[in-house]
Amino acid sequence: MSSSGEVVLSKPSAVATSGASLPVVREPAVPFVEIEALRVKEFIPAAKEALTSLIAEQGQAKLIRPVFNWAGRNSLFPLHWGLACCAIEFAAAFGARWDAERFGVVPRSSPRQCDLLIVNGTVTWKVSHKLITLYEQMPEPKWVIAMGNCATGGGPFRTAYSVVPGVDKLVPVDVYIAGCPPRPEAMLDGILRLEQLIRERKE
Amino acid sequence: MQPDDLANALRPKLGDRLKGVEPFVGTAGRVRFDRAGAIDLFRAVRDELGFGHLSMVGGIDWVDRREVFYVVWSDAERQYAILSTDLPANDAHVESASGVWPSANWHERETWEMVDITFDHHPDIRHLLMPDGYAFHPLLRSFKLHEPEELEVKTRRV
Repeated sequence: MSSSGEVVLSKPSAVATSGASLPVVREPAVPFVEIEALRVKEFIPAAKEALTSLIAEQGQAKLIRPVFNWAGRNSLFPLHWGLACCAIEFAAAFGARWDAERFGVVPRSSPRQCDLLIVNGTVTWKVSHKLITLYEQMPEPKWVIAMGNCATGGGPFRTAYSVVPGVDKLVPVDVYIAGCPPRPEAMLDGILRLEQLIRERKE
Repeated sequence: MQPDDLANALRPKLGDRLKGVEPFVGTAGRVRFDRAGAIDLFRAVRDELGFGHLSMVGGIDWVDRREVFYVVWSDAERQYAILSTDLPANDAHVESASGVWPSANWHERETWEMVDITFDHHPDIRHLLMPDGYAFHPLLRSFKLHEPEELEVKTRRV
């Protein structure tokens, strides 16, 4: 303690950098690439053995399902398919202000690359066959969000001769988002609820 | 061009198949004709009066009869004209205008599926706005608003 009452910490006694000799870097006897190849060669059977014993111990579903669910819910790829005015809000949700990409949601242009179908708008009977085709082209596992009142139950066009009264007549729906059209916040909320569903998924 | 001009030009071609020409707001006139003279009228209107563009075809269901009308446009006169004919409700068919104005093709498909007017010798009569296999003609007066489930049953994938 000094006279003024401050605590003075003692300096570390050994500051080794100044006088010590630096290690000499030499060329390895075996080139780097070959070392890496060797490591991989050894790693793969070892990892395989460890994983096999772990699966035998814990059960496959219990071990792998959480990993799949974690990966799936953090990389939901919706189909870039706009049907009606809800598609404007859908587009706004991917813009700078709401930025749905921070949840790993990236719209893709091909159903083969998607695992999420966001039905954003009025579905007519004429387009219903295309919707079913797109849904069938998506690889498993896949989810469907009915966005807006039209996709949920036909909306104001429910009794019209040309409108499907709710997209759940055509494909199974996981999350319904109300609104006409829903705000981008509501769409993000729907996506987060779907992520919750995937988190709780058992099989 | 006035309604009288239309009548004077068309009378020699059509005879009594021309029912009359009356004034109609914003057009050169509304030509009412018998469906037996449809093709003759279309050719005369296009080739001799210069109405080269068929703007639209539509149909109306007046319960006791059906009406089909053609709105044509002349670039030279910068005027529309309307050609319309009445059809009996139980036998509503008329010759297709697709051979005279190709743009009639889709309009006639729509008119057929909405108000059930058959167009004879149409090159490609299919549903336009409704899926194939749709069981109704929804703009007929007799069409009732259906329960959604009933529509679903009657609109199957084909």
